[in-house]
Amino acid sequence: MTSLYTGLIGIIIFFIFIMLRMPIAFAMAVVGFAGFSYLVSPGAAFSMVATEIYSVFSSHTLSVIAMFVWMGFLAYYSGIGTRLYVFAYKLVGHYSGGLAIATQAACAVFGAICGSNTATAATMGAVALPEMKKFKYHASLAAASVAAGGALGVLIPPSVILIVYGIATEQSVGKLFMAGIVPGIFLMFLYMAAIAILAHHNPGLAPAGPRASWKERINALQGGLGEVLIIFSISMGGLFAGWFTPTEAGAVGAAGVLGVALLSKRLSWEGFKKSLVDSTRTTAMIMLMVAGATIFGRFIALSRIPFELATWAGNLPLPPSAVMGVILFIYLILGCFIDALALVLLTIPIFFPIVVTTLGYDPIWFGVIIVMVVAMGVITPPVGMNVYVIKGVAPDIPIEVIFRGIWPFLIALAICLIVLVAFPKIVTFLPDLLFEI
Amino acid sequence: MLKEFVTGLSKVLDTIAGLCMVITMALIVINVILRGIFNRPILGTYEYVGFLTAVMIGFALAYCAVQKGHIAVGFIMDRFSTRIQAIVNTAMYGIALTFWTLTAWHLGNYAYRLSVKGVVSPTMQAPFYYFIYLVAIGLLVLCLVLLVELIESIKRAAVAR
Repeated sequence: MTSLYTGLIGIIIFFIFIMLRMPIAFAMAVVGFAGFSYLVSPGAAFSMVATEIYSVFSSHTLSVIAMFVWMGFLAYYSGIGTRLYVFAYKLVGHYSGGLAIATQAACAVFGAICGSNTATAATMGAVALPEMKKFKYHASLAAASVAAGGALGVLIPPSVILIVYGIATEQSVGKLFMAGIVPGIFLMFLYMAAIAILAHHNPGLAPAGPRASWKERINALQGGLGEVLIIFSISMGGLFAGWFTPTEAGAVGAAGVLGVALLSKRLSWEGFKKSLVDSTRTTAMIMLMVAGATIFGRFIALSRIPFELATWAGNLPLPPSAVMGVILFIYLILGCFIDALALVLLTIPIFFPIVVTTLGYDPIWFGVIIVMVVAMGVITPPVGMNVYVIKGVAPDIPIEVIFRGIWPFLIALAICLIVLVAFPKIVTFLPDLLFEI
Repeated sequence: MLKEFVTGLSKVLDTIAGLCMVITMALIVINVILRGIFNRPILGTYEYVGFLTAVMIGFALAYCAVQKGHIAVGFIMDRFSTRIQAIVNTAMYGIALTFWTLTAWHLGNYAYRLSVKGVVSPTMQAPFYYFIYLVAIGLLVLCLVLLVELIESIKRAAVAR
């Protein structure tokens, strides 16, 4: 059997394993190991697995993930999400659809501090859904707006998926963070516009709330919220200015949020312990997935699939944009079934050489685009993670009702994607401007 | 009995993992301050952060598995009967248990080879094979969690019959 066929069979077995509910990280490691054993030798495969696992776990570059994850959970347990939401809805809650629009802004800012789309959706779901229910928002719009808004965090820095993409493809994490900002804000505005249009056509969907005075609005900023936003700016600003490495930016951010939470007495000892348990669990899950993907990647590279596929795609009588379209379509379909991070890790060794080396697309732009496509997967049936998170927060809303409300947000996402594909400069101008002076 | 013991053990390791996270953060922040203000960074921070992260991840794996934190795709298997689910789970846990036990063994072996050769880290000249042993221990406890799950799914398969 040729190495190419071994690779293809490996990929099929991997999919069978994950359909049989084997954790994705385990399936990647087991299949990667078995394939490597077959193509080289079991001894070499065990040696490779042991070395790769330790080198991923002890990677200084990947330790950035732990720091940003902890920063997010500290923000979560000190109630920053709630206060962000209160501030946003005091600003715009008096418009029809205002609560859902406020949710988008709060999701974008909290997603920026947090970096995990499920944590953002869970936080905002717990805070925003009861408020929207109180003001008689339609359950479908309310739940879908939180599920979609939660995914804004994958574009707005610090994004775990962008970090992993940067490390896997040897691109600058700082540049990727920078590149995610404008598309993230653009998408947030598109979501807001979608809500405004829906509310305008059918005011019964999202009735207006009471108007808050400017005094109330300024008061909402107090209690540590302003300080946290300053810390976030120092952490990200320091990274962009080149003072910190990404890991240092994460540690400074986590220390800052911890400091503010303790000084303003917003974080209990219980909350602190919970933040650590959640962070070690999330980090272990992510890092084992990275290790599994590295092992799987070694096998796939050995099977020559990426090389053959790149050569084949390069010889196709199609323009690069058509090939790119097919690749994005594949991501979109797979994104409906596989976790976003796993999908990026799994497909990067296969598609990155085609897109960047053969077709000549910008690697930073490609990173942002695939993150957007996998973000679509987070809110589409049957395994839209964020939708299930919202279902967990609001068990009384049926899952079909949430999925029904997702459509306007999917359309907004598709528009955003088309604009970014048509005008790649929107993604690349900020990193180009700041990093090439 | 075994389940309580394994859960307790994974919790203890997870607490150590949390402690590693706090120490890593403190080390990095102190290093940034010392470098920025006094121009005197802590030598070897880069390596220490790597060692601490390795222990943190290794020790958090088992409790992550206890909490079902390793992401799996469940919507297909959910459609099958309890018995079929239990049988498939038994097979999957069996494969995973075998793989991770062998991997833990080979990690230990890797650490042993480094200790015999006297391999040290580039900056601090620190023998880092201890940390590889610790990761191997973390993986062994993960194997215990998988063993408990394997036994439970075998029981479920038997009961469903």
